[in-house]
Amino acid sequence: MRPPRHPWLLTLLAGVTTAVFLLPVYWMAKTGLTEPDRILTPSPQWVPTPLTGENFDTALGYEGLTRALLNSLVIAGGVVALTLLLGLPLGYALARVRMRGSGTMVFALLVAQLPPAIVLAAPLFILERRAGLDDTYLGLIAADTTLTLPFTVIVLRPVLRAFPPELEEAALVDGCGLPGVLLRVVLPLTVPGVVAAAGLSFLLAWGEFLFGLTLAGDSDVQPVTVLLNAFIGQHGTAWGALMATATLISLPVVCVFALFQRFIVGGLTAGGVRG
Amino acid sequence: MTPDHRSPANGHRSPAARRRRQGYLFCLPGLVLLALFLAYPLFYNLWTSVHEVQLSTLLGGPQRFNGLANYRAVVSDPGFWHSVRLSVVFTLGSLLFQFTLGFALALLFARPFPLNGLLRSLLLIAWLLPPVVSGTLFRWLLDAESGAYNALLRAVGLDTLTHDWLTDPGTALAGVMFANIWVGVPFNMLLLLVGLHTIDPELYEAAAIDGAGAWQRFRRITLPLMRPVSVTVLLLGLIYTFKVFDTIFVMTGGGPVDATRVLSLYVYEVFFAFFRFGRGSAAGVLLLVVPLLAGALYVHRLRKETVEGGPA
Repeated sequence: MRPPRHPWLLTLLAGVTTAVFLLPVYWMAKTGLTEPDRILTPSPQWVPTPLTGENFDTALGYEGLTRALLNSLVIAGGVVALTLLLGLPLGYALARVRMRGSGTMVFALLVAQLPPAIVLAAPLFILERRAGLDDTYLGLIAADTTLTLPFTVIVLRPVLRAFPPELEEAALVDGCGLPGVLLRVVLPLTVPGVVAAAGLSFLLAWGEFLFGLTLAGDSDVQPVTVLLNAFIGQHGTAWGALMATATLISLPVVCVFALFQRFIVGGLTAGGVRG
Repeated sequence: MTPDHRSPANGHRSPAARRRRQGYLFCLPGLVLLALFLAYPLFYNLWTSVHEVQLSTLLGGPQRFNGLANYRAVVSDPGFWHSVRLSVVFTLGSLLFQFTLGFALALLFARPFPLNGLLRSLLLIAWLLPPVVSGTLFRWLLDAESGAYNALLRAVGLDTLTHDWLTDPGTALAGVMFANIWVGVPFNMLLLLVGLHTIDPELYEAAAIDGAGAWQRFRRITLPLMRPVSVTVLLLGLIYTFKVFDTIFVMTGGGPVDATRVLSLYVYEVFFAFFRFGRGSAAGVLLLVVPLLAGALYVHRLRKETVEGGPA
C-alpha cells in the first residue's frame, strides 16, 4: 500500500482505538490497586489515588492461592515439556520423512483440534478416575497436552519444512541418525519456531480451566484458574482482591507474550485451530 | 499434505528405509498420547452414550446397554433445544461482530504508520488472557452498581441506559457475547491482516490511476480478494465460538435461570451436576456435530488451497 500522507494521524487513530479496546485490562489492574472502600462506588475513580497494595495482600492471604499459582506453573511447565518432547519428533517426521500414512496423520491432527473440551472432559473424568489419574499433575498435564500437541505440530511442520534439506542430507550421509540430525542440525536453526510453539503451549496450559475443574476440582493440584472461579462465589463482592488475583494470573501471560512476541505472532498466523 | 510416494531409492535404499523406520518411531510417542487421552476417551464417550451409567456404577459394575434411550431423552428435553437456540444466537452474533470489527482493525493496521507493530501486539492481549480472567473481568465491568460500563453511561448522562446486564435474563446472553466478541476481535484482525498483506499493492495503484476512489478500491479489489481468507477465518471462528465454555461458565454459570446455558454448558450440567453420565455423553456426541461439519469444510478448503496454491 502507498505510504500514507499523515502517518502520525493513523498512529493517533490506532492508539485511541487500542486504548478504548484495552480499557477492560486497565480496569482490572486499576481495581486491584484501588483502596477496597473506594471500589464499590457509583462513580468510580478513573485514576486511583492513593495507590494501594492492600488487595494484593488480601488475595495472597487467601488460603491456597500461592499453592494454586505453583500448581499452574508445574502443570504449564509439564505441558510445555511434554508437548515439545512429543511434538518435535512428530512434527519433524511429518515434515521431512516420506512415510506411508503421513497425510492421514496430519489430517488426524487437524481433526483432533475439533472436539469441544467438554466432550473430552466428560469421558476423561470417568477414565482418569478408574486409572487413578484424577487429582494428579500427570492426569492434568496429559489432558492439557491433547490441546497443545496437535496445535504445536501443525505450527511446527511448516517451520521445519522451510528449513533447507541439504544440511540434513549431508549430516545423514555422514552417518548421523535421524535423532542426531534433529537435535544437532535442525533444532538449533529452528529456534524461533520452537520458542513460539513452547510459548503458545504455555499460554494455553496456563489459562486452561475445564480440565482443571473436572479432573482436579478441589484437590491439592487445582490450578489457579479454578481457584479464581471458586473465589467469585465465595468472595463475590470482594472485587478488589478478585481483580488483584486476576492481575496476578495475567502477569505470566503478558510476560511470556512480551518476551516471545514476534515468535508467537508468527506461530499463530502459521495456522491451526486453537482448542 | 505430503504426497505419499516412495523416495527415489537410487543406490541409497537401505539408508532411506532406515530413515523411514526412524520416522515412524518419531511419530509413535505423540500418537500414543493422543490415542490414550483423546481418541480413546472420545470412543468411550460414544460407548457411554448408549449405556446406562450411574454414579454407583461409574467405577465398575453393570452398565446396561440401552440403545438410543439416552439420545431420545436428550432430544425430547426442551432444555436441550433451548441450548441449541442459545448456541446458534451466541455463535452467529459473536462471529458477526468479531469479524466486522476485526476486519475494520485489519484495514487500519494494514497501513504503515509509526508504532504499528507495538499497538497491534497490545491488542492481542485481549485474546491471550486466560478465558477465566476475561470472564471474571467482564463480570466486574458489567456489574450493576459499580461496573465500569454503567459508570461510563452515568458519566455521560445516559443514566436511563444503565442496567444489571448479567442478572437480567433479557440481556445476559448479550453480556456474555460482548465479552466473547472482545476476546475474538484481535485474532480475527491478525488472520485478516495476513490476508490483506497478500494482496498485490500494484492493483491499488493501477485502480487509483484509473480514477477509482477509496470505496471503489475496497469494493472491487479488497472484498473479492479477501473472500477466501474471510471464509477460512469465519469457519475457524465458528469452530471455536460454538464450543466456548469457560467465559460463559465464569460469567453467569448458564444463568440467570437458563438464559446463557449454551450447549457446552448444557452438557456440563447434565454430566457433572446431575451425574446423568449416559445422557450427558449423548448430548456431547450431538455437540460434536457442528464442529465436525465445519472442520470437514475447513480441511476441504485447506486441501484445495494446497493443491491449487502449491505446497503449504
